[in-house]
Amino acid sequence: MDAAPAGSSASAAAPTTGFRKLRKLGKPRRRRLGSRYALIGALFVAPAALYALVIDFGPVLYGFYLSFTKYSPISRSGPKPVGLDNYRTLLSDPEFGKALLVTGRYVLQVLPVTVAIALGLALLANKAFRGVSLFRTALYVPHVVSLTAVSMIWLWIYSDQGLINDALSLFGLPPQKWLVTEGSALNAASAMRVWKALGSNMVLLLAGLQTIPRDLYEAARVDGANAWQQFKAVTLPGLRPMLTYVVAMDIIFLAQGFSEIYVLTAGGPLGSTTTVNYLIYTEAFQYNRMGNASAMAFVLFAFIAGLSIVAIRLGQGRRT
Amino acid sequence: MTLLRKALAGTLAGCLSLVSACGSGEPEQTDSGPLVVWFPGNSETEMKLLKETVIPAFKQQTGTDVQVTFVDWAEISPKLNAAFAAGTAPDIIGHGVAATADLVHNDRIEDMTPYVEKLPAADREDLAAALPGGQVKGKQYNMPVIMTIRLIVYSGADFKAAGLNPDQPPQTWEAVKTTAEQLTKRDGGKITHAGLAVPSNPIGAQQAFGTLLWSSGGEYINAEGTKATLNSPEAVKALQFYTSLFQGPTAVDNTLGGTWSNSPPAQQPIVTGGASMQLSNSGDITKYQKAAPDRDLRVVMPPAFQGSKGRAFGGAANGLMINKDSKHKDRAWDFIKYMTTGETSVKYAETVGSLPIRASAAKSAYVTSNPELLKTVKALAVTHANPNVPGWVQMRDAIGKQLEQALHGKISAADALKQAATEVDKIIAANQ
Repeated sequence: MDAAPAGSSASAAAPTTGFRKLRKLGKPRRRRLGSRYALIGALFVAPAALYALVIDFGPVLYGFYLSFTKYSPISRSGPKPVGLDNYRTLLSDPEFGKALLVTGRYVLQVLPVTVAIALGLALLANKAFRGVSLFRTALYVPHVVSLTAVSMIWLWIYSDQGLINDALSLFGLPPQKWLVTEGSALNAASAMRVWKALGSNMVLLLAGLQTIPRDLYEAARVDGANAWQQFKAVTLPGLRPMLTYVVAMDIIFLAQGFSEIYVLTAGGPLGSTTTVNYLIYTEAFQYNRMGNASAMAFVLFAFIAGLSIVAIRLGQGRRT
Repeated sequence: MTLLRKALAGTLAGCLSLVSACGSGEPEQTDSGPLVVWFPGNSETEMKLLKETVIPAFKQQTGTDVQVTFVDWAEISPKLNAAFAAGTAPDIIGHGVAATADLVHNDRIEDMTPYVEKLPAADREDLAAALPGGQVKGKQYNMPVIMTIRLIVYSGADFKAAGLNPDQPPQTWEAVKTTAEQLTKRDGGKITHAGLAVPSNPIGAQQAFGTLLWSSGGEYINAEGTKATLNSPEAVKALQFYTSLFQGPTAVDNTLGGTWSNSPPAQQPIVTGGASMQLSNSGDITKYQKAAPDRDLRVVMPPAFQGSKGRAFGGAANGLMINKDSKHKDRAWDFIKYMTTGETSVKYAETVGSLPIRASAAKSAYVTSNPELLKTVKALAVTHANPNVPGWVQMRDAIGKQLEQALHGKISAADALKQAATEVDKIIAANQ
């Protein structure tokens, strides 16, 4: 064993020298070949890159440019540069500040609930029992239906003569004004969103659960771990990458909440459900102030990016 | 690698120029092809009337093909703005009169005054109540096709049940409140049946407040459109009255914040029995009566505050405008003229369940067959429209938000109006 490293290092010296010589001799040819491969590679990538540049980055860049301008789409004069004015205005706009807080609250009150319930459902759906496929499909259905259509149905559920008030009347309780009371409107919208997000979260977490090796559970059982200890020591660590993904994606979608707000409350009452995205819509399409709306969109982008980074960092946890 | 860099730089430059071209290009409209019309709303009966009756008859009369698109109300402004930016806006634009001033301010719609001046004098007189709603600075930019008015609709059955005479409804706003208190039902401190339901969502509140404001002699902005006049004692009096309907021991309305004013007739509180009186779009009276035949629904002529004249929010509601870039302006006017003829305009109003634009329509079978509708049409003489000034939509929302604060008892009427006046002044300044 002791001689081997010495011998191996001695014998490795000659081929290394030979290879260097060979590489020196073949360098121009290799460079030509490399360039040709790179060019061919670039040609293959070009259609997708062009698509991304035109369809994805183009509008983003244009939106960023608009955020430094004053522009109405019905004006004939085009965008007029105003420097940082739109961003300065946002700093002193209480309505925008309130919308950021509403958006943050909306994310924070939907996210933990939907992830926790989805995890519970995923654990159930991960068991083998009769009708498990139907169970999984039924849970996924809300995700398939459009958010606007779902919101219309919940609008009726929350209405004065809707399902919830009918149910309350069975117990002799008075009807509630779920969507027109400042204290309950955002909570009502959040409850709907929790239900809507369950299906996709459950499927993703179920996929995550199924990647955890069974051996680990067997080993844990052999070591005498009970169900809670198995969940804490095997399931949660195994699910951490998927949980991180689910949380990050939920933050991105929830912070852009618009359709449900538009249908259920139109931002009211008293602005208690006006999210940043709803405010952007109003600025851009009701008041034709594209510059302001674009600046709001980029601040919202930074807000979402910040929240997502925090979530991902926390999700990665004590990685060594 | 140089080649690659050049290719990437070229692609990026191409993309940017494509994007900037998208933002500034205004393709010219061609003279060929059909007359393109966008109508707001997607009522099935309206679509059927236009597609199966009006447009074929117009084509037979003029030989002009008309391509009509119905756009959902919520989508009309965003779609129109995108179409203007792309140079693909229709020849004729149907929209609410509130949108007119902004389109004029941006030089997007044609001045139809020369066309209107060529109408026979009798026609212009017949349309006299409707035309001002589509005017900006005295020029006709929007030709109204239907009218609207906010009146109190009341249930004769509820009046009788409360021992009130249904043939003698209240004549002043003070009397309306007293009557509403008699009609209100309470369970302890909680209202279980509204004596009077008044819209209180931001847009509905602005329109309802307009009715109260003008009936007490106030205005939103001065005649020149240069300054808000919401700080006036008349405005404060009107808002204090409005707030008292929802707040305090004599409150009569339990629908605060509700969006029922946008709901179908069958869901209106006056129809469901949730209220005995309701400030409502009275053009819908026939629909309400049909939805609740047992409730004996009638209308009150516009009440006033004591010492003032009764006014009601209303006048021209929707109208048709000609795109300034249209190459078919004369043909577009021909279509608009056809839509506003006596027979077509009454048929259209009847189909959409609204009020007709011509005074002579008061003699039509549609109006005379219903005494309450006839009263509504007669009340059009005292309508008052919102100001037709650039930035009005933004002003309306700013006022609506402050009114909402006052109605919920968050701030006093005087403070809400002071704040609203400040915001309206800012918007006026930004649109100068």
